[in-house]
Amino acid sequence: MAGIIEPVGIGEPRPVDVSNLEGELSALWRTAAEGPTAEGAVTRACTLTLLIYVESDEAAYEVTNLVAEVTRQNPCRAIIMMLEPEASSSGLEAWVSAHCHLPVAGEKQVCSEQITIRARGEAEQGLASVVLPLTVSGLPIFLWWRANSFSPPAYFDDILRVTQHVIVDSARFSPGTTHLQDLAAWLHKSAGKIQLTDLNWNRITPWRQLIAQCFDAPERRPYLDRLTRVRIEYEQDSARLVTQRAQGLLLSGWLASRLGWQYVKSERQEAVQPRTFYFKSANGMVTVERNLKRVDNACGVCFTIELIAEGASSARFSFSRGPDGKVVKTLAEVPGLLPIGRSVRVEVLGEAEILNEELKLGMRDQLYEEALSLVARMIGA
Amino acid sequence: MAETTTLSNPLREGIRIHSTPAPCAMVIFGASGDLTKRKLIPALFYLSRERMLPAGFSVIGCARTPATDDSFRENMSQAVKQYLKLSSDSDEFLESFSKGIYYIADDFNDAAAYSKLKALLDQLDHERGTSGNRLFYLATPPSFFPVIVKHLGAAGLAKPKPESWTRIIIEKPFGRDLASARELNRVVTEVFSEEQVYRIDHYLGKETVQNLLVFRYANGIFEPFWNRRYIDHVELSVAEELGVEGRGSYYEESGLMRDMIQNHVMQLLSLVTMEPPATFDATSVRDEKAKVLRAVRPLTGEQIDEFTVRAQYGEGWVGGKKVPAYRAEPKVSPTSVTETYAAAKFYIDNWRWADVPFYLRSGKRLAKRVSEISIQFRRVPHMLFKGAGSDGIEPNVLSVNVQPNEGISLKFCAKLPGASMQIRPVQMMFRYGESFGAPPPTAYETLLLDCMLGDATLFNRSDAVELSWELVDPILARWRELGPKGLATYAAGSWGPAEADALIERDGRQWQRV
Repeated sequence: MAGIIEPVGIGEPRPVDVSNLEGELSALWRTAAEGPTAEGAVTRACTLTLLIYVESDEAAYEVTNLVAEVTRQNPCRAIIMMLEPEASSSGLEAWVSAHCHLPVAGEKQVCSEQITIRARGEAEQGLASVVLPLTVSGLPIFLWWRANSFSPPAYFDDILRVTQHVIVDSARFSPGTTHLQDLAAWLHKSAGKIQLTDLNWNRITPWRQLIAQCFDAPERRPYLDRLTRVRIEYEQDSARLVTQRAQGLLLSGWLASRLGWQYVKSERQEAVQPRTFYFKSANGMVTVERNLKRVDNACGVCFTIELIAEGASSARFSFSRGPDGKVVKTLAEVPGLLPIGRSVRVEVLGEAEILNEELKLGMRDQLYEEALSLVARMIGA
Repeated sequence: MAETTTLSNPLREGIRIHSTPAPCAMVIFGASGDLTKRKLIPALFYLSRERMLPAGFSVIGCARTPATDDSFRENMSQAVKQYLKLSSDSDEFLESFSKGIYYIADDFNDAAAYSKLKALLDQLDHERGTSGNRLFYLATPPSFFPVIVKHLGAAGLAKPKPESWTRIIIEKPFGRDLASARELNRVVTEVFSEEQVYRIDHYLGKETVQNLLVFRYANGIFEPFWNRRYIDHVELSVAEELGVEGRGSYYEESGLMRDMIQNHVMQLLSLVTMEPPATFDATSVRDEKAKVLRAVRPLTGEQIDEFTVRAQYGEGWVGGKKVPAYRAEPKVSPTSVTETYAAAKFYIDNWRWADVPFYLRSGKRLAKRVSEISIQFRRVPHMLFKGAGSDGIEPNVLSVNVQPNEGISLKFCAKLPGASMQIRPVQMMFRYGESFGAPPPTAYETLLLDCMLGDATLFNRSDAVELSWELVDPILARWRELGPKGLATYAAGSWGPAEADALIERDGRQWQRV
């Protein structure tokens, strides 16, 4: 199969007999141990099974490169499931390969294995029968659904039944669709049996952390109750518009669910701008505005959040990332204190880095579930 | 649905957002010293840049050396660049961090200096929102500890303001013998309550040391074997390649026993041997550590001669370079009897460990830098594989490598492939670097953050410090009495003196090759 990363010291990925994948993997490791470059010093490491759903050759190629990065921090058995239901022919094909990382002095070379399975036509019905025996016993199973919507077909039920964690990326969901609502509905239906996470939720974790830090001091906490306005601003015309749009929604959902705001309505203030959401807090109305901002050479990293408490004792907390994509400037303006600003690092992480963090976390995230549920209401209204 | 109250921050909830301390000001006494620029400020900068410290976090450096806020900021920025090997794209973070750094040049033997300090702290509360939270860090030579503590008390700086906290971190060495440790504890606890005092031992901030607790208490299979029924003996080795590195005058006063065994090695010993705490909190963990140290049988009289070895390195080769003998190091007496190596055998008189020997060794200028805990299990009771030869049946050894390659390995026997029954030991290894990829935080990052969060689990309590001194004091007294008599030597770059080998070989055992 063209394009798979050449593993260090183990040779070309090779097409193998689908009915004997375990045997083929054993042969791969024997080759590795006996190989002239490996000198027998190969450690096979595995902490989980990572199932990856993709829908094209191109996506499988991208994912293979990402898996090579992911296995540095999360050694695993990766099984890429490439489905082509519309193909005219029917059949299952498989390849095995290994991702090895050059050792530091004195350490052994650590390798992880990858199995790629292509299912064409009606043969996709048999996918679970090939994948399930390959999952590593006793270790957690993650399913990374890397597609533009989350809509597992019925023949995925057997795979979902053994899966503990499902990872999606709402940054891939097409705008104007009901994918976030569909995801919330599926999560509700799964009744807590599967832990769902979203790479885009991970992307906003540093922002949530920075916002939370502003209200740790006892004298600042009351401002949380007095918030009247939230402004979220991101780039117009950037390739990451979908990502940032979903991030804005998830941040709104998080703030509202954490602070106990009741969703009231949404309105479009200007034709070109996203809808503004209205919530009711214990102290009155809160508006959440989302603004698209035109930025020269838009690259999708500029992002600003402002939390404003209006009234007699007004305060403003702002968080803003500029076009360099690394530095977030924060500013807290509170009565009685000098404005406190600082610069901290919030890098735009690559997909593999985010996936690594999610694989390490591996826990149910109730806050995400609550935020998603509220977002589904907000955009469904 | 979360409820917003003035007591909790609902935005803090959840599994992803790590705790960050409340806004605070950290006062470093001894700010012109090496520790501040090599370890403390780089660790604080890293925590700040990675969003683990709150906005408004401030540092006040205190020392006699004349400097201004600006010049101190500049020095600290240079230090951060040097020790964290930062590229220029970190300048903006450094500038932001530096804005929260201040300096007071004064004599901290003088009460007036503390009035200035108090005024600056109050100013920062108002300007930077540090909320009255203070962390004092004593990074001065130990002789200044009592005077600084007394002045802090007299200036009213030790008592926390309402709704605020005040803590103090005290660097090692905590005393130079039992009497001085007790006296220092007395002085410190007259001014601060024990809950405010954080005695730091950076070894306890290392990931593997913490992982030792996880290994023992988060895995069901090991604890049942963790006792005298299954364990033959335990070795704790802390070896350094380095010599005294220009600190000859310090080392002449200290010696290896005070520098390593009394603190690092005794801490490791207590973590390996403690009973399971009821909960993973500072009180429970430190109660158990103190309890087991109390059960360590003190060495007395001639037993000290039999159960301990002290030695000093002669000239030799380390890493392909010829290095001088200890007595030829700068600021070291040519007739010095200070030990640069120590080994000892201890027993723990409790139900779990009765009759299990614990062999401790540590030294400078040894063959390589390594810290390892080796737990050797008993041999099989009956040799089933007659043809395999007794050489092939080595006992199982569980090794916890604290540094440099943090990890855990288990040695067990396996059959060699082939028709004959040949048995060889093999190793099953877990290495942090291989399994998790990401580098662990440095010990100072971990410990400074823990202290600001009020978690004292990885810090020493006064009873543990004194108990360690109770074990070490008689040995030091005996060595002092013997003078040069009984001081062994070893070549720099070797694995220590032959006398240390004899110490363990007398019991029919050998040091693990670490």
